[in-house]
Amino acid sequence: MSKASAAARTLRGVLAGAAALAIGYAGTAAAAPAAGEYGVGFITENTGPLAAAGVSYHRGAQLAVDEINEGAWIGQGVKLKLNEKESGSDAARAVQALTQFSADRNVIAVTCCILSPVAAALKPVTTNAKLPLVIYGATLPGLPQPPYVTSVVGLPGPQEVKMSKMLAETLKPKTVAYFVNADNEGFQNRFKAAQKVMEEAGVKTAGVVSILSADTDFTAPATQAMATNPDLIMVWTTQTPAAGIIAALRARGYAGKISASDVISPAPVFKKIGAALAGVPFPIVFSSEISSSPEAKKFVEGYTKKFGEAPDTYSAQGYTSLYLIAQAMKSLDGKPSREDLAAALGKASAVEYNIYGGLPMVNGQAEVQNSLVAAWTADGKVVRWENK
Amino acid sequence: MQLFVEQLINGWALGSLYALFGIGFGLVFSTLGILNAAHGTYASWAAIAGYYAVERFGVPFPVAIAAGVIGGGLLAVVVDQIGFQPLRAKKTGMLGALITSIAFWIILDSLAGFATGQQSLAFPAASYPNQMVVMGPLRVPQMQIITIVALLVCTIGIHLLIQKTRIGAAMRAVGWNEVAAALGGVNARMVILLTAFLAGATSGLAGVLGGISTSNVSFTLGEGLMLKGFAAVVVGGYDDVRGTAIAGICLGIIEVFVAQYISTSFRDGFTYMLLLAFLIARPRGLFGSASFVRA
Repeated sequence: MSKASAAARTLRGVLAGAAALAIGYAGTAAAAPAAGEYGVGFITENTGPLAAAGVSYHRGAQLAVDEINEGAWIGQGVKLKLNEKESGSDAARAVQALTQFSADRNVIAVTCCILSPVAAALKPVTTNAKLPLVIYGATLPGLPQPPYVTSVVGLPGPQEVKMSKMLAETLKPKTVAYFVNADNEGFQNRFKAAQKVMEEAGVKTAGVVSILSADTDFTAPATQAMATNPDLIMVWTTQTPAAGIIAALRARGYAGKISASDVISPAPVFKKIGAALAGVPFPIVFSSEISSSPEAKKFVEGYTKKFGEAPDTYSAQGYTSLYLIAQAMKSLDGKPSREDLAAALGKASAVEYNIYGGLPMVNGQAEVQNSLVAAWTADGKVVRWENK
Repeated sequence: MQLFVEQLINGWALGSLYALFGIGFGLVFSTLGILNAAHGTYASWAAIAGYYAVERFGVPFPVAIAAGVIGGGLLAVVVDQIGFQPLRAKKTGMLGALITSIAFWIILDSLAGFATGQQSLAFPAASYPNQMVVMGPLRVPQMQIITIVALLVCTIGIHLLIQKTRIGAAMRAVGWNEVAAALGGVNARMVILLTAFLAGATSGLAGVLGGISTSNVSFTLGEGLMLKGFAAVVVGGYDDVRGTAIAGICLGIIEVFVAQYISTSFRDGFTYMLLLAFLIARPRGLFGSASFVRA
């Protein structure tokens, strides 16, 4: 090989490398949104009947925005700004907040809603306004409607089924009594999913005790359930009733097995009810004490540092909703429009940065694959549940 | 049969809370002529006061009850003097007072939310009598017995106060006509303050007992008692605490039995159908005076 040909080849190589670098650079530049501050409307529920959970969702979102901005997660100079408007879990106030966000052109997306009826009320409004909405808490199937409505909340069902199968196999109950919210479709679906598993395993239904979300006195329902003499009592209700029911059952002397849903997982619930919750299994997709992925550990560390307490499953969902919006932003070019962002959200096949060890999105709906069955210890720690 | 009797006691205890609350609510209406929408917040704040007395100062159960009762009474006096007294002086009538009370309801509810950190709190189990009393095959929580006894004591005490004492006579006189009572030598201002305190204290007792026995100390506590307490007053008769007590107990028992033997979904429907039936058939309620009319 002559020196001339070698030099030519070297030159070609250098040129090819330079071209590749240039293309790569151009590609990166093309995928980065224009620097600037983009508003994300957050419809808070920091007051009203669900305020305890609402505060957690909000804090999770605040932490995510801090991380995204500090780490230039979307791109250099690209920042998100959380704009909050309070709904108090009231559909009319939530619609009003969404309408105001819609009029504010600095707001590129909105995230909202613990209650499914509130999310359902926002759905047509946000679709008509062509403003992307990411649901952070509501669990009714069918709420997402890509590209404008997506949800980071894993639907109830798989984790309840998993736990029910585990309980049927390990506890081997002959009869089960169920508590269920008569006025909450989401919890009725959870109850039905659990009952189906139990009945397929040959476990009879001893009784179904209905309660209402606004109820506070559970002595009579506890008496009713105990009178059916079940081997296991499964509590499929919203948070305040679930805590009240378990407390009432134990106060009335029920020493048998009880299971519940993830509503009893937040620390304030244990602080309120105390040792009566010990050993009650519940399915959970995130726990600050059990979840072990690097992302989960970073989330727990950052949240604890910022708010002085460990995050719960609700703060995890608020956190995830902002990362999904950031992910969609990151995939866009130039100055993104609401329509562009909606299209990107609708196309997302997974929430890439998540604390669940994987979070696929199917038709705008997150699907949580890795759930745990956990329980409180008598001294207030969440551990993997074991039959004792 | 055992289940029937246990649920009967559950209903009686629940209804006793409604009745206790209703007695305070009825006192304000019959004596001061105010349909006080903020009355539920007195119960919420009484429970919060009792809770923090235990949580922060570790006071024993009777002191926690006293903190709630006195707190509820003082709050009622403050609301009356800030909100209702100026209206009373201008003789704005019931509508002005109702609107003012709605404003106080919203303000006090919001403040109660902040006071509890928007959480539903519960008294520590060791801070109140939380054992079961075994009576043959029956097991009755101690708090249910305390609630039932509290209603009996309050009903008898307030009935005797109103019917058999000079203060009670003054309260009835002010309820009938404040100006005429003043002309007759009654210190109307003092009677108003006493009535407001008594009403807030009674509802406060319902709040703190309810907060303990339901493990729910939150701003929503009073709202739950408000509607049922109002129903007890309407069914029992505005100006007779005995009627309110009986009606409250009946409402509690009906609620529990409807949930047990029919369906939870119909529970509140039955309660308010009863209220409607009474309003139509007997507007003055079980024991109310035929001539009782508020201006």
